Amino acid sequence: MALNAESVPMRWPAGPLDIARHEKEKGFSAEKAEVLRQWLAPASLAVVQNTPVNFLVVNWAAGLPADADQQQALKPLIEKGRQAGLGFVGLIEGEANKPAALAAAQSAGLSAVAMDGDTPGSTGVPVIPWNKAAQVRPTTNSPVLGISDGLWPGVPERNLGPAGPTNLAWVDSNGAALLITRTLAPDKVVWIDYDPPPQTKVTAEQYMLAVADAASYGARWVVSLDDQLRADLTANKQPALDTWKKAAGTLAFFEQHKQARTYQPMGPVAVVSNFAGADWDFGKAAVNLLPRVRQPFQIIVRSRAVGASFAGLQAIFYVDHEAPEPKLREKLTAFAKGGGTLFVRSDWPNPEGTPAPAEPYLLFNVRSLGKGRLAVCKEDQPVVYDAVSDVQVIMSHRNDLLRLYSASSSNFFYQTSAQGRQGVIHLLNYSHRPGSDVAVFYMKEPHKSARLVSPEIASPTELKLEPQDGGGQEFAVPKLAVYGAIELEK
Amino acid sequence: MRQHLTRRELLGAGAGALLAAPALSRAAAAPTARVTVAKCKTYGPELVPTLEKMFDQVGGLSGLVKGKTVALKVNFIGVRSARLQGAKMEDTFWIHPRMIGATVHLLGKAGARRIRVVEGVWSSSETVEELMLSQNWRPNDILNAADNVEFENTNYLGKGKKYSRFMVPSGGWIYPGYDLNHSYEDCDVFISLAKLKEHAATGVTLSMKNVYGATPPTIYGQGAGVDEPSIRPHGSRSLFHDANRVPSKSAPQQKDMTLPKEAGYRLPRIVAEICSARPVHFAIIDGIHSVTGAETNYGGFKPQAPVEPGVLIAGTTCVATDAVAMAVMGFNPMADRGTAPFETADSTQRLGEDLGLGLRDLKKNEVAGTPISEVMFSYRAVAAKILAAKKA
Repeated sequence: MALNAESVPMRWPAGPLDIARHEKEKGFSAEKAEVLRQWLAPASLAVVQNTPVNFLVVNWAAGLPADADQQQALKPLIEKGRQAGLGFVGLIEGEANKPAALAAAQSAGLSAVAMDGDTPGSTGVPVIPWNKAAQVRPTTNSPVLGISDGLWPGVPERNLGPAGPTNLAWVDSNGAALLITRTLAPDKVVWIDYDPPPQTKVTAEQYMLAVADAASYGARWVVSLDDQLRADLTANKQPALDTWKKAAGTLAFFEQHKQARTYQPMGPVAVVSNFAGADWDFGKAAVNLLPRVRQPFQIIVRSRAVGASFAGLQAIFYVDHEAPEPKLREKLTAFAKGGGTLFVRSDWPNPEGTPAPAEPYLLFNVRSLGKGRLAVCKEDQPVVYDAVSDVQVIMSHRNDLLRLYSASSSNFFYQTSAQGRQGVIHLLNYSHRPGSDVAVFYMKEPHKSARLVSPEIASPTELKLEPQDGGGQEFAVPKLAVYGAIELEK
Repeated sequence: MRQHLTRRELLGAGAGALLAAPALSRAAAAPTARVTVAKCKTYGPELVPTLEKMFDQVGGLSGLVKGKTVALKVNFIGVRSARLQGAKMEDTFWIHPRMIGATVHLLGKAGARRIRVVEGVWSSSETVEELMLSQNWRPNDILNAADNVEFENTNYLGKGKKYSRFMVPSGGWIYPGYDLNHSYEDCDVFISLAKLKEHAATGVTLSMKNVYGATPPTIYGQGAGVDEPSIRPHGSRSLFHDANRVPSKSAPQQKDMTLPKEAGYRLPRIVAEICSARPVHFAIIDGIHSVTGAETNYGGFKPQAPVEPGVLIAGTTCVATDAVAMAVMGFNPMADRGTAPFETADSTQRLGEDLGLGLRDLKKNEVAGTPISEVMFSYRAVAAKILAAKKA
């Protein structure tokens, strides 16, 4: 099966290489080794029967003596899988002999391999670049881009405290990395790799969230099951079958609701950056924390910003330290002169405009510029949460497009169709259990309808739109443990 | 929260009681008050005439505010994005915007020269106006309800050049004084506009506890500066709860670090101290819509639910106004630690009485308007029903 945009991946740990890699780890037992052997057997493929999974990611080479045994041992599984319509991706990692591993992959009939670093020129088999989010290679020939350092989504048990002084909890989400990668490589499908936390009981809802955290941002999680679940599935234990059914059901839900993949992120503020090198950390942190102040936003890659439309934007946050090239600077300042607010870092050379009154605590010195404003950060390395909070305050809640009340452990992500008539709000609950209160959304712009779809409800639910005294509409969303999408129609 | 004191803390409490001794003599000199109660079911057209009548029943506002600068301390505590059971903040934890607008209007009508609506907005640095906008309120409705109306978030230095120091006349139990935003010094008249609700650590949040929110997190927050106040407020005022750190060194420090660290001991004293250092000239309590169980739900005995008691209370001392409010809520105003609503706390109102801020005994005050029996709304009866329903 050829690798393409419809490929739905799942990690398939099995065989001697996986045993060799894990056997020195604390807690690795004979039982776990046996499960890894059993998942080599073609019969194990029954697990993915009648699920959307159609690609299995196997460990192919890691520069260990077990590499050759692994490739040999996988042959029956690959053969049977291919007969069943499954594709296989071989993961090449570490000090592996890449040319040898590529040749073996081609010979074994793998659909693709995945490896970090730059893709070799001529390989004979498609190569998925498999790198950390900060080092993605958007210019690959592969239809798929891999991110190797995804986060297991949720509210972390480690005590990170609140995301900021408004007391909303910190959440681990892959949204920022995925949005940035998809913006850098709009014609690619992004796969993201993260494993369940070790030594913990992982619930069905956690798996559902793991699927939704990637899928709601238009990407695919490389499904990865915990050791116990794989063992229990092998033993046909009912609770494990139920857990997997819910996870696979969530995968199927997103395959049935593909429309939103063609929608664009929508918000009144755009973050402009290279999202690379020294600019990665701040840019990614800003994109990660804007959802925690519940500010819908867009992303514009700096190299394309000169040709990008700023229509509908109220503000632009140019997050890079490096000054923009003259044409872009001209365009950004023209945006401010036309009535927008341009936020820039502290080293913006020769700020345009004249000082304007602003609250003294703010991280930004605000300057009048034409009909709009230029806001220059006062600090070289500001606290990113404070920076995005102040961006929101300076923009003013008067202009909020959307607001979310309650659902403190949830993020939302807003997208609209090209014409803006249709929209979808993805609501992700990182606590993976229903909150004590219903979530309530406020929308500034009037809509005709709002409909909730979710893997947690049997059929779509129409949501009642309530006009507000102060303008706009509100609607309440029934309590959800993990995920719902609100489909909007103007 | 810990429920029990250690022996050392009990000894400390004894020391606190000794410290309080000079203040006890002030109770006898505490002023009697005029307090009024009115039914008011909605924030609609009935609100302004009801409030106006209430203010007349306690002697009218003009004698108090004519030609004066008034600071109106409102209550916007809690995470702004919360919606308890879907109910809006103004219908649960916060003062309703129409209540603020009506009060501002009547203050203007009574001749107030300037009215500044003040609040330490949670622990954030957002302006009051921005906070209102985030709730889809119309701040201009309040700004235009009278002449010279302003907003100030008093969580930080704000428009001032320096913090104002307020010393506790008795010397205080916990802190000898407090550094607050300039707005609390700029005003001639200080009004506490509070919500009729319970509080997890102090039993009730009424006009006295409302003043607690005047303390700036730049000095008293978890992220306050060590030596000097921070520029931005960061973190909650939890040091008042459990002395887990000290205020910025620039501010008056805790008198005795061996005092109990239990919130039920500390918070009522701190609240009474602030009300003594920055006296409340007039108290108004919004009980039209409110919430049972306070901002947090400690121990499960105070389940939260939006409620509509449909009542307003106003009075000339914070202690007496709170005492009447407690009676309206179904509590004994003379109650103290161990009795509802003070199961785990000392009575802030009793401590206020000790500091000479007013009298709790309803018989010693002049209570006008609707009889309390006609507006009584038992918060604990609502809580009991919720618990029973949950059990069922």
